[in-house]
Formats: sequence, structure tokens, C-alpha cells
Amino acid sequence: MAEAIEFDAIVVGSGMSGGMSAKELCERGLKVAVLERGPEIVPERDYSDQLAPWESRNFDNVSQQEIEQHYFRQYPGVSYAVKESNKHFWVKDDEHPYEEVEGTSYDWLRGYHTAGRSIMWSRQTYRLGPLDFEENLREGVAIDWPVRYQDIAPWYEKVETFVGVAGSEEGLSQLPDSVFQPAFELTGAEKAFKQRVENAFPSRNVINARIAHLTDATEEQRSLGRSNCQARNRCHHGCAFRAYFSSLNATLPAAERTGNLTMVHNAIVQSLEYEPETNRVTGVRVIDAETNEARTYTSKIVFLNASAIASAMILLQSASERFPNGLANGSDQVGRNLMDHVSGAGAAGIMRGFDDRKVFGRRPSGGIYIPRYANITENDKPFTRGFGYQGGARPVGHANGQIPGIGREFKESHRRPGPWRVSIGAFGEQLPNPDNRVTLHPTRRDRWGNPLALFEVRYSRNEEIMLEEARKDAIAMLEAAGCEQISSGPVNLTKPGNRIHEMGSARMGRDPADSVLNGWCQAHDVPNLFITDGAFMVSSACQNPSLTYMAFSARAAHYAADLLAEGTL
Amino acid sequence: MKTRRELLRDLIVSVGGLTALTACGDAPVLVATAGGGPGRFYSSGEMELVSRLSDLIIPRTETPGALDVNVPGYMDGLMTDWASEETGNAHRQALREIERRLSARGDFLELDDVEAVRALTALDSAAFGEQAAELGGYRSFKSYVTRAYFATEGGAREELQWVAVPGRWDPDVLVTDRQGA
Repeated sequence: MAEAIEFDAIVVGSGMSGGMSAKELCERGLKVAVLERGPEIVPERDYSDQLAPWESRNFDNVSQQEIEQHYFRQYPGVSYAVKESNKHFWVKDDEHPYEEVEGTSYDWLRGYHTAGRSIMWSRQTYRLGPLDFEENLREGVAIDWPVRYQDIAPWYEKVETFVGVAGSEEGLSQLPDSVFQPAFELTGAEKAFKQRVENAFPSRNVINARIAHLTDATEEQRSLGRSNCQARNRCHHGCAFRAYFSSLNATLPAAERTGNLTMVHNAIVQSLEYEPETNRVTGVRVIDAETNEARTYTSKIVFLNASAIASAMILLQSASERFPNGLANGSDQVGRNLMDHVSGAGAAGIMRGFDDRKVFGRRPSGGIYIPRYANITENDKPFTRGFGYQGGARPVGHANGQIPGIGREFKESHRRPGPWRVSIGAFGEQLPNPDNRVTLHPTRRDRWGNPLALFEVRYSRNEEIMLEEARKDAIAMLEAAGCEQISSGPVNLTKPGNRIHEMGSARMGRDPADSVLNGWCQAHDVPNLFITDGAFMVSSACQNPSLTYMAFSARAAHYAADLLAEGTL
Repeated sequence: MKTRRELLRDLIVSVGGLTALTACGDAPVLVATAGGGPGRFYSSGEMELVSRLSDLIIPRTETPGALDVNVPGYMDGLMTDWASEETGNAHRQALREIERRLSARGDFLELDDVEAVRALTALDSAAFGEQAAELGGYRSFKSYVTRAYFATEGGAREELQWVAVPGRWDPDVLVTDRQGA
């Protein structure tokens, strides 16, 4: 018989948003269980950031046979991040399969373990701006956000102060400044690119990328064992210095030190228990990933932070007589409007004049960012919404040996940085579409008995046109910057899901008839259920979304704690 | 008098016997390179060719060369443990083509240094010039050699002056400064 274990709050998922939910709930004095479906990550054992290049064989590449057998979706999706020494951060596709509707494809790129994908993320960190919360209403797209920028701004500030974001103050309305630590200085070629592009295109800005790395650690951050970035750029392997933000480096230790946190690993959620008499979720049924033992955890409130896809699936798996289409799914919006960002357009070129310069240190992420200008400062676009560019300028180097010559001269040419290459790539907004969805596969189940995810996601013509324009703009900016040998392949849209910015599958809104959550990330249909991963997003904007997930998580956690204190829940 | 091939074997033994290479941690996998024997992937003849080419492409200077850090052993491990059968076959085919072209006027492995450099320079020039399409296999081979060299401690630390923990980011350093990172 399943054992019931009682908590004030259960948080499902320990990643980016789950960690923040747990921290805030624990700091409010609630006894919190975090249910993580994967195994525990122990940094001293599982991080590989301190390996020198010569301590990994085969260039740290996963063998081609192993990719074919175990990583046939993960590796093609993020080959830049999946290495032999960190492959345990990524799921094995043969053990965690999913399906796509014929004629569609989806990249579901995952890590099942403590802190989820917050260990492997690329750390670009931006606020949404006022416009992002208003465009749906202005354009009649989907539904209106029930929240405006000023509602979430204080929570951005709170979260950023804790997380640590390196960046520069710019005063841009479409990309509000965060609470910043010092930015990683631009390279000379990046500064020249910025000056030339901004001169040629006064409606555009080239700014420092904003990244979640400590450059001036606060006392609070140091108290959690975190220290400044050491410019090693080994972040996809973990960080012994805890310099980049992850749940494991920051929020979970903060939750732990309250004494209120119980971490449970290998707990795969099967469903939420719903009590129709009280209209409350009363518990979470899990199956142990290793032993297949069934357990139930009970609590007063439940936060779903399993990821936009997994949280939607948990609701769909929790159908009952009251909710035959899935828990809290009276609107039939659960699983719908699945969004990501779209890339696959950009350009690169050589910038002369810097051949006598090189860098010291390995900047961990970012470089330059070009905030969205389309339909903000430039309104002549054949598409709606817009895109930002991420990029940078660095010496080409010759590490692959792809220059002519042999002998001493060839060997020593590697000491010289070579010409500098500028590259920029677009991240575009994907419009919400109720037909883009994840559902439960009607017949196939995983080894623990849960239905497989079935994806049906297609880009709209707007995304296709947008990326074509992004390519043209990228080339024009490189030309304006004086770049040579500009290259830009044909637009090749990334697969939906490939940017790993899953969102929208349980959107918030004012009307229970067309939304799953209210403006506090609280389920319209079930008041003690909150969802604060990317599922709540009503539109995707074009900024990397993790910071927004965390700000809404913190806000929802305090709201839920207030309701509990009032006796409302 | 020793033949060029015998001298090469001696060189391999002198700089890269199994025990020494394993001890310095540079060679994740190296089997039977010493004495001209086969590797796990490479035949004896292929190992000799890879060794000679690696030595010519990245010779010993004031810093270690490709043989000093056992690039052939690294590549033997790469082809054994990383490469698929398809990749391995393509690599083997590339080696055959490289040897065929270099041996147009006699066994390449028997050429003295001057002649060998001349032959390989011509091939390299063609591969990055007018015969780029036909000589993709050579460029791929050269890429493996170069990447393998800089993936070793000698290549990374001594030649590139790679620093494990830079501790800071400086975006603007004069190239005349030999400082690595």
C-alpha cells in the first residue's frame, strides 16, 4: 500500500522554476517537498568542469555508435553541449522516447536530475518588456496577458538580485535593464561592430549580452558558496565555483538552509490526486524510477515546475470524473499553444583591423545582443512581432588545421589569433497557436507506465517570413560594419523545441473558459494548484525566458503563501 | 645503414613507447605503436604513415611535436573508440589516397626529410587550392592531426600556453604577448 507523506507544499521539478518556487516557499516557512524525477547530481562526483582537454579522450566526443544508440535526438539537437564527460546530464533517447504526429518534428531536449536543465542552459538572461505583455491584446492574437510589466517588475528585481546577472544598463524600453553585476567587456571588434551598426541603423542597438554569471558576487551569493566567474567557459560541465546560476548552485542550497526542504529524487509523477468535495489537489502520486515503488505525497498546495511539456502531461494524466479531459482543463487549453523560439537565420563575416589583438580568458557566454527592433523602432516589416540577435566577435583561430602549410610555420600559426569573425544569429518570437500541442500518446507508454508525449507543432508563415527578413538584416548589418567574406546560408528554421524554451501549454488569462491559470499562475479550476514553469506564458516574446519563469515563480510562491496564511487555501 | 622506415620506427620508439605515453597521461589509448606494430585501428603500415605525416605537419620545435605527444596513438584511439565503421572506413580510404599521391615517385616513407617535405607541401597546397574537392580526405586527416595535437597536454599547455583557470576576462590583448589562455 502506498505510503502518504504530508507537506505544506509540493514542488514538482527541481529545475529553473522549481528551484525558485522551492526557495521562496521554504523561506516563507512552508515545509516543502521537491519531487525530482531523476537521480541526484553530486557536483564533486558528477561535474566535469575541471577536466583539462588532455584528460578527456576523443576530443571529449561521444562515440558515433553511442549517439546512434542513445542520443539520436539529444545530440543532433545540441551537439555543442553534449560531450563524453557530461553526457550523463542528457537523457538517453532510447530510455525516454516520444512521438511526433506525421509530418511534424520536435526536439525535446532534456536533463532528468537535480536542477534539471538549469545545469546545462546557456545563461542568456533578459526581462520581457512592457510591450511583450500588451501585443496580444493590441493585435488580437490569442488572448491578453492578465499581467502587465509593472506587476512583474519588482519580482524581476528580486530574482535578479539573487541570481546575479552580468550586463550593462541601456535604458531600452523594449528590454528593461536588470539589476546588473559588471558586464563582460566587449572585444575590440564587437565595439567596432556596435559603433558601425548603430551609426548605420539608428533604430537598432548592439549591447552586451546579459548573462547569469557572477562578476561581483554579493554577500548573499558568497554565503551560498558562490564566487565570481573564472572565465573558463566550462559551464556545460557544471561549475565548481558556482559562478553561473543554476538551481543546484543557488536556489536549492538557499531552500536547503531554511531547514524546510525535503528533496526527493527518482520520483516520477504519475498523476495528481484530486478531491472533488473540496475542489483541491490533495496529493501527488509518484513511482520510483529505480524500484518502481508507488508512493503518494500529500500537501496543502502543489506547484508544477516539471517543464511546460511535462506539467501539461501531468494534468492530462490526472483526468477524473470532474475533469475528464485532464485536471484543471475545463478550458481545453492544457497542452495547447506550445511555443519555443525560432532560429536558423544569421550571418557571419571577417572584420579586419584587429589581427594584432587577441583575448585572455574564455568568456563563458554571450558577447553581443541586438534587442528586438522590428515593429518597435522599425515598423515596415512584412511580419508581426520580432527577433533579437545573439552573437559575438572572436578570432577565428586555426584549431581545426584548416589552413595551408606544414611544419614549423603551420604549427606556430596557431599562436596567432588569425582574423576576427563576427557572427549573429536570430532568436524569433513564435506566435501562439492552439493547434500546436502536446497530447498523451493513445497507446504507447514508457517503462514506468506513463503515456508518451505526442507532439504536433508547426511554424506559421509569420515565423518563416520573419526569419527570412532576419537573414537579410543580418547581412546588411555585417556589411554596414565593414565585414568581408560575409557568409549566410539559406534560412533553415530550427526544429520546434530546439531552442529549449518550451512554453505556453497551460496559459494564464482572465477567463477560465480560455485559459488554465489566472494571473497568479493559479489554476482557475483548482485553487491550490499553481504552475510556474514556462506553461503559463501567453506569448513567447523573443527573449530567453528563464528569468521570466523565475520571476513569476517567486511571485506565485508568495501569493500562495499569503493565501495559506489567510486560510484561503 | 638504416632505411628511412627503420629510422621512423626508432623515432616512434624513442619518443612514444607505450609505458611512457601512458604514464604522462597524453595517450588515452595506444597499443603497439612501438616497433612499428599495428594499433588497435591502424595497421602497421598505416601507423607508420600517420606517424610520418604527423611529424611533418607538426614537428618538434622548441615545443613538443606531434610524435612527442603521441598524436598517432591519439588518432588510433579516436578511430577505435569514437568513430563509426563508416567514419573509420572513410579515414582509411583517405590514408590510402594520401599515400598513393605521395608515393607517385617512390615509397613516401623512404623519402628523406627534404623530399618528404617537398612532396607533402605540394599535396597540402593542392588540398587547399585547386584540388580542394578531390583532397577532402587529406584536409580531414590534417584536421584530426591538429586537433589531436592541441588536445594533448604538450600541445595545449606548451605550444598554445593554455591556462586551466584564467581567472579573468581581458578582451583586448596585444598579439605580441605570448600569454595564452
